[in-house]
Amino acid sequence: MVNPVLLIIVPLGLAFAIPLFALFWKGAAKYIPPAALGFNLIVSLILLPRVLAEPIIVSLGGWQPPFCINLVAGPVGILFSAIIALVGLLVSIYALDYIREGAVERYHTLYLLLLTGATGVVLTGDIFNLFVFFEILCISSYALVAYLGERSGIESAVKYLIQGSVGSSFLLIGIGLLYGQFGTLNIADIAEKITSASPISLFVPMVLFITGLGVEAAIFPLNAWLPDAHSSAPSSISAILSGIAIEVGLYAVTRVIFTIFGASGILSFLAVLGILTLLVGEICAFSQNNIKRMLAYSSIGQIGLILFALAIGTSYGVAGGLFQLLSHTLSKALLFLAAGYMIYRAGSMEISAMEGMGKKMPITCLAFTIGAFSLVGLPPFTGFPSKFLIVRAALATQEAFFCVLIGLVLLGTVIEVAYFFRVIQVLYFKGEKMNSVKKEAPIAALIPIFFFVALIITVGIYPRLVTDVLNSAASEFLNRLDYIRSVLG
Amino acid sequence: MRRTVAILLLIIAGLGISLSLTSIPFGVPKTKVGRHYINEGVKETGATNIVTSVVVNYRGFDTLGEVTVLFIAAIGLGAVLTASGKEKERKIEPASLILGTGCRFLFPLILVFGTYVFIHGHLTPGGGFQGGAIIASGFLLIYLGCRERRISRVASNLAESLGGLTFVVIGLLGLVFGGHFLSNFLPRGTANALFSAGIIPIIYIAVGFKVGSELAGIIDNLIEES
Amino acid sequence: MMSFLNSYIYYTGAFGLILIGLYIILVKHNLIKVIVGLGILDTGVNLFLVSVGYITKGTAPIFSRSEINSEHMVDPVPQALVLTAIVIGVAVLALALSLSIRLYKHYGTLNLRKIREQRW
Repeated sequence: MVNPVLLIIVPLGLAFAIPLFALFWKGAAKYIPPAALGFNLIVSLILLPRVLAEPIIVSLGGWQPPFCINLVAGPVGILFSAIIALVGLLVSIYALDYIREGAVERYHTLYLLLLTGATGVVLTGDIFNLFVFFEILCISSYALVAYLGERSGIESAVKYLIQGSVGSSFLLIGIGLLYGQFGTLNIADIAEKITSASPISLFVPMVLFITGLGVEAAIFPLNAWLPDAHSSAPSSISAILSGIAIEVGLYAVTRVIFTIFGASGILSFLAVLGILTLLVGEICAFSQNNIKRMLAYSSIGQIGLILFALAIGTSYGVAGGLFQLLSHTLSKALLFLAAGYMIYRAGSMEISAMEGMGKKMPITCLAFTIGAFSLVGLPPFTGFPSKFLIVRAALATQEAFFCVLIGLVLLGTVIEVAYFFRVIQVLYFKGEKMNSVKKEAPIAALIPIFFFVALIITVGIYPRLVTDVLNSAASEFLNRLDYIRSVLG
Repeated sequence: MRRTVAILLLIIAGLGISLSLTSIPFGVPKTKVGRHYINEGVKETGATNIVTSVVVNYRGFDTLGEVTVLFIAAIGLGAVLTASGKEKERKIEPASLILGTGCRFLFPLILVFGTYVFIHGHLTPGGGFQGGAIIASGFLLIYLGCRERRISRVASNLAESLGGLTFVVIGLLGLVFGGHFLSNFLPRGTANALFSAGIIPIIYIAVGFKVGSELAGIIDNLIEES
Repeated sequence: MMSFLNSYIYYTGAFGLILIGLYIILVKHNLIKVIVGLGILDTGVNLFLVSVGYITKGTAPIFSRSEINSEHMVDPVPQALVLTAIVIGVAVLALALSLSIRLYKHYGTLNLRKIREQRW
């Protein structure tokens, strides 16, 4: 039986060792992230069937739970770490060829540390440990957005850094308030004691937590950094930021709301916030000419949809939200990876510069089209069962409030269809400017693109492959008492 | 306009927070976790400085994360600043005689003091981070006083990586010998002796070297840039 | 009133620093001033965390002689949290300053109102 702490320690140790390797063998740095993430993926997949029944609690240092930090490797944690490892592995294979300039070994070190931080956030069971790993995730992403060193990158990184740091300070104030009230930092311990506290004294810590974590999760008024940061970063980093970083932020918000605070009163407010985020994201994406900014605003919209689904609060709703999260990660990563080489060929990020690209890079543009169809929610791809599950969950609550909001979700989907089809029209149906020479993206980019397409189609046709895991994950979020019992005994 | 909106928001925030402060009385013991650490700390970990035993042993995973954050900042700073790649010829004015002599005299004393602070981290106030910061301030003094000297980048990168790897390897050895990651598998010794408290002094020495070389590397990058 | 001030002076000071730091970040245009505001915000948060753990007439939790009475020791956990938080704050400030050096090289100014190439 493998200890889940290795999921965090092996990538961390290898990341510390990259500068040592680079002293002896110059080109070694770019092969270490795929190796570490491959290890993570294998360990997550081995652990997954075991944790569906009973979560594995690892206490670090050998002390008993409220007096130590513990990791909770339950269905949610191992599902997320499997997604992180899979997407990270495929994007690191893409980056073998895509990242050629600048200090390459620093890129790979920061990349591996970003994914280590993300894995740490989803596995931990202690709020201050959550803060520390969350900071690892955020600071690596600040440094990676600025990696190319161009004007837009540095400006976006500065604005992201300032907003992210203010958010982290709010999170720390919230942690201080919770510690002062309950005297412990363990998530299960706080969850147990929270029932004896008055709701007024819990209101301010909850707001501080949602604000602090919401900056990274890109919830409506706090997402001003996202379009700049995701469009100025190198495309492999945009894929990781849109596909993993904001989802992990949303996981942290969900963990705090469901497990620590157990709040059911705030859920309708979060549902409204989710719909606002969705509409703002989709409407702004519609008016963009820059393809990466369009994809970044589309990420904001999708996060709004996932937040709405999670705020429905029933087990269908939470499972639907997690399914939408999975399909958004796969589709958005595929879209950014394909767009990376399309931008490289076209020489600019404007959509109008990509006329006729469908004939010059057929496989890449086909992959982009598949990603777009999946994000919108068309049938044989993975976006369809996830959106269907969300709609069904909202209608099953039988409340007029949710039915009205589902109408707005469908409106958002219509806007999505409009702007994605505009891009596809430019790719395939606009005229060619010159003799089209077919030159595909290099093989190191086509392998991950092919795997993403295969995963999207497989999960879309057989959603039963993942629904078991998603249902267990949903019940872990919703059953606080089981969580408390499995940690504290 | 922006000022008034900001002040309004801050007044609302201040009122909200002061409402919640009434539930945290000042100066009253609140926690059972803290009591447990004070009562059992010396027996269970062997360190007489309870803050050190909390930082390195009970919550050692947080310290590993913190070491990683500093590592990321040093690497990110290096990646951002050296991307410009131009080698400028700068005229370096030598410092005055008093400054140069004073710095050369103080530098070994500061290094010794910093090393003392992190080696005795489990007995007296102090520890790896504090000692590392003192060592880095010694290096800053050299940059200000003897301006033509530079740290060797290879040595500083090596110290950083080896410090981090030592921490991770000790944790893994704790997993192998003690069954849990970061468990204290070396003998605890007698309290108040220098060689006591199991793995705590070793981790703090590794952290001290790492933090010292990292902060000195950050200072080196920033000075070279300006 | 005096007893209120006496007992809550640390919290008031910490939150005063936090509000001043937030005001600077929201209102000022110069990037270096904003970074200084971020530093003040971090200091205020750390002060708040340490003062949560204080026990009146308590001493440091160090058993320098083995027969020290452990009744009046302050809580060691917030001190450990603040150690980590200070280091994380330093790391963020270092990264912010390096980014502002590069930003100055690209734009020639540090006025945040003029550094706004990405709009909409």
